[in-house]
Amino acid sequence: MIYFDHAATSPPLHSALKSAECYLDECFYNPSARYAGARDVSLALEHARETLLRLVSDGFAYTLVFTSGGTEADNTAIFSAAKRGNVVTDEGEHAAVYECFKSLKAAGGDVRFAPLGRDGAVNAEALISLVDDKTTLVSVMHVNNETGAINDINALAKRVKEKNPRCLFMSDGVQSYGKIPVYLNGAVDFYTLSAHKIGGMKGTGALIVKKGIALTPRLFGGGQEGGLRSGTENVFGAVGFAAAAQERFAALSENAARISALRETLWEMLNQNVFVRISPEHGSPYILTVAAKGMRGEVLQRMLWEKGVAVGTGSACNSKKPFSRVIAACGYQSDVLGGVLRASFSPETSEEEIVFCAHAMNECAAQWKA
Amino acid sequence: MEKVIIIRYAEIHLKGKNRGYFEHMFSVNLERSLRGIRHELHRTNGRYLVAKFDENRAEEIAARISRVFGIHSYSLGYRTESAIESIFEAAKLVGPQSGTFKVETHRGDKCYPMTSPEVSREIGARLLAEFPALTVDVHTPQSAVYVDIRENGFALVFGSFEKGVGGMPVSTSGKGLLLISGGIDSPVAGYMMAKRGMSVHYLHFHSYPYTSDMAKEKVISLAKLLSRYALTEELTTVSVTHIQEEIHEKCAAELNVTLLRRFMFRIAERIARNRGDQCLITGESLGQVASQTIEGMTSSNAVVSLPVLRPLVGFDKEEIITRAKEIGTFETSILPYEDCCTVFLPDHPAIKPKLSFIEEEEAKLNVEALVEEALAGAQRLKLY
Repeated sequence: MIYFDHAATSPPLHSALKSAECYLDECFYNPSARYAGARDVSLALEHARETLLRLVSDGFAYTLVFTSGGTEADNTAIFSAAKRGNVVTDEGEHAAVYECFKSLKAAGGDVRFAPLGRDGAVNAEALISLVDDKTTLVSVMHVNNETGAINDINALAKRVKEKNPRCLFMSDGVQSYGKIPVYLNGAVDFYTLSAHKIGGMKGTGALIVKKGIALTPRLFGGGQEGGLRSGTENVFGAVGFAAAAQERFAALSENAARISALRETLWEMLNQNVFVRISPEHGSPYILTVAAKGMRGEVLQRMLWEKGVAVGTGSACNSKKPFSRVIAACGYQSDVLGGVLRASFSPETSEEEIVFCAHAMNECAAQWKA
Repeated sequence: MEKVIIIRYAEIHLKGKNRGYFEHMFSVNLERSLRGIRHELHRTNGRYLVAKFDENRAEEIAARISRVFGIHSYSLGYRTESAIESIFEAAKLVGPQSGTFKVETHRGDKCYPMTSPEVSREIGARLLAEFPALTVDVHTPQSAVYVDIRENGFALVFGSFEKGVGGMPVSTSGKGLLLISGGIDSPVAGYMMAKRGMSVHYLHFHSYPYTSDMAKEKVISLAKLLSRYALTEELTTVSVTHIQEEIHEKCAAELNVTLLRRFMFRIAERIARNRGDQCLITGESLGQVASQTIEGMTSSNAVVSLPVLRPLVGFDKEEIITRAKEIGTFETSILPYEDCCTVFLPDHPAIKPKLSFIEEEEAKLNVEALVEEALAGAQRLKLY
């Protein structure tokens, strides 16, 4: 099986499983307990926190709160920061962010959505024009999970702060952390992560938050994570996440360059009479989204599975709906919208896999035409 | 004193010499519906008693019984010794503690020392003394206590009659094969035939990979929901992908659905004859969609010799939806997964196809080979 749906989830890395293994086994202690064994577990958790934090930010200026995943991190950040006034986001956000803003809107809040460009990146001028002195939160995802378009969050955050210094800036980093180079410049206040997209385990995520910003806890209880996220810590997940992140960051640029070239190979090999490219050239190397004109993505997806290739159709979280809201927001018409396929890669993706996938996709499309 | 569920059957008492057979099937169905719950089922004259069950599961048992065809009504109550003291103890548990009430007694045991009105008066008087907030109203009481004194020294005491679903016990009226899609109608059609006592088997056509596994899972869920009534244990699935591709490639587009339905009927008839099913059942409703016209039905019927029952033929969509909601299949039916009819849908399907035209188009296909191929790929799934 050739697995090209790494943007949905990626198989756990050996290093992640190996380093985390003992925390399900002999180091099973509750990190909040006071005896030596438990303290060691607690230290391992803190070590994982430091590791994850320092890979993308100044560990003295930011802190990191472990969560159950990207969704919880997004929810925590948004509902902590969106208080009064208005909030600004864009049409391309993942449901974990988008639905939060929709619920704020339903509750009567002033929520502003910035439009997208053709490639799925946010229209920066439109976004900035929506910000005013009443804006409390701006949220822009780093890498669009459906098209791979990259938003320059550091630059956007700076421009937002120039217009309204008190406004907070959040970015969903689930598809960028461990995949493309980034270092938070201090204008970004929240950055959310998910472990299982880069070879960690499901059920683990994190919220990186600038020190000094008060978070509103969503879960109350034993006061873990500094009282911000009660519940016995998922040490296994956190340690595995840190190990996976270290492995990914160690070869970040080399991997990105190699996969970027493979992505272009795949696109060049596809039958361009049938497939339309949606992903931008300078987007995430790990995502190539195309659309088969007049066909149905989900049917092609099942045909490809029969040939031994797993690809996505837009966002997996969203596959119960017929069209992708995000691709529609990019301005595509219904002949393209129905046929969207997303191939997403990992650093382990090989050229043979790419070639096989290209042939399989062309064959399936030809089969449909017949 | 023991908690019991008292079950009374519907139409069966109209039966004469066959009654034993109907009663037997009825009790078999009751046992099937209560599978997995420890209980004892007793038959007394004209009634069934479910006893010796975990009292915490009484509601669950009642819910399952409420879906067994052939039940006129059922009651949750107590079986006690027929001594007036014991009856009163049970009456306190099932009866009201305030408001208006009456006691109604039925005395099967004619040797019992008190007459029915005497028992009613005695129990009523004791309840009034026990609960001062009660008053008697024998004409329009807010609640009631029913006492049924049986011959063998025990009595049944209960507070209400719950209406059953009625109908005839499943598998007393032959066997049929239901063509079940993922839609709203076919589960309702199956329900209606099962209600009249037919043993209904399920057949589902899919066209993977044009339809998803989720669509198949949806049909399995629907089949399970329907089986709470129909007690069917198996679902047969057949892929018509190749047939649809062939039709799409070789035949006139407006006949796509008409031709496909003829294939489905052919395949269904073969499967039905193998299983011993005596008819096909579909959820067609006259004029609902292009293929459900009288011409469409005629063209499908032309390829089979088994009778095709269409219990919904004269129903409006609204009526069908109401029933689907009652049965509990509606919520699942409206999940957005496509079944095989919609993928190759032509822009303008023929609504009044001529049989001669259909046969002309069908002649372009190797019908027998395609049917054989589809049958060879049939799968049987256990529902539970």
